Amino acid sequence: MFDRDRKGDKGFDDAPDTRAAMPPRSTPPQGARSGSGDVAVIGRSIQINGDVRGDEDLRIEGDITGTVQLKNANLTIGREGRVKADVYAKSITVDGTTEGDLYATERVHVAANANVRGNITAPRVGIEEGCRFKGSIEMDQEEVDKALARVNMSKAGGAPAKASEARPAQPGSVKGAATN
Amino acid sequence: MSARTGRATARAPLDKPGALNAPLFRTIVEQLEAGGRHVVLELGPASTPMLELLGRFRCRVEIADLADGGIERLNAAAALEEGANAALEATAEALLPPPDREPFALVFCWDLPNYLQPAALSALMTAVAARTEVRGLAHALIVYSERSMPQHPGRWVPDEELRLVDRRDPTAQVPAPRYSPEDLGRNMGGFAIDRGRLLANGMQEMLFRLPV
Repeated sequence: MFDRDRKGDKGFDDAPDTRAAMPPRSTPPQGARSGSGDVAVIGRSIQINGDVRGDEDLRIEGDITGTVQLKNANLTIGREGRVKADVYAKSITVDGTTEGDLYATERVHVAANANVRGNITAPRVGIEEGCRFKGSIEMDQEEVDKALARVNMSKAGGAPAKASEARPAQPGSVKGAATN
Repeated sequence: MSARTGRATARAPLDKPGALNAPLFRTIVEQLEAGGRHVVLELGPASTPMLELLGRFRCRVEIADLADGGIERLNAAAALEEGANAALEATAEALLPPPDREPFALVFCWDLPNYLQPAALSALMTAVAARTEVRGLAHALIVYSERSMPQHPGRWVPDEELRLVDRRDPTAQVPAPRYSPEDLGRNMGGFAIDRGRLLANGMQEMLFRLPV
């Protein structure tokens, strides 16, 4: 379980997006779509092996293996979503299954039906009772700041570089609370 | 001690129905309040109240959640055959974070030790000890007075007064191992009994320390 401790050499690379794996606009609603203010969706039938990147909110209901980088956007891993990747986003909500480290500049929320294996690094972490979680959560503000800086993530922006460890919560979420 | 404010109170809170006054748990929280960074191993599941509590301190929490299949795996490995330690050790290792991370200062076992066969408990705590700093503490709730216990481990969470509340669903009863101090001394992987308190529900609250 913890043997996926993938610290170290994960670099942020410049690999192209795997847009080829997404269906064209003419496909039915489950295909990826986006627009200003809209949430892009990776539907249940979509499988992507590689890097997923963007600057808009994204909901994943399909299978992703690789990395997910949404520099200034919110990611939701829906009930059907299965992500085997390190994830970098402004905020991350997990209602499905993830295996990998989660980095957020604002917050990570793990819902009651989620199954998460990996380390969480975020200023705020919410864990709902009933979820399955194995991994670490850093509650030391200083260490979270360092970890986010190491992956080149901060509220000032910046692209993720590589991975490391976890972080606390503040009142209202798990360093304070979470939802429950 | 108030979990909300962190201020010490003059006396321990009274027991109330469903909430267990646990003085050694309170001792651990006092240690956290003394400051500094602590790495905590939670052998139980992630719980919001516990993470809220730990979130007040400079902690990193590693959550192993052995109740999610880990206990069964350890007991099955322990039952394989006499002397087949390699499989049991490997099982214990796989359930814990890698040993090259920061060592644990605190380990919350809750009532999980009661659900492990002696060999399984020994293998688990040996692996935990290898990841724990010298003089690190392990906290456990050991069934002592009762001959039976719930079929599944509890979901223990602290309330605002640092009493422990068991949120587990009602379940059938199974025989309790009723580990003696001698049993625990043999099977806690090198952790030695530091203190014990008999709780209102008949369990022994125990603090173990990894000696120098």
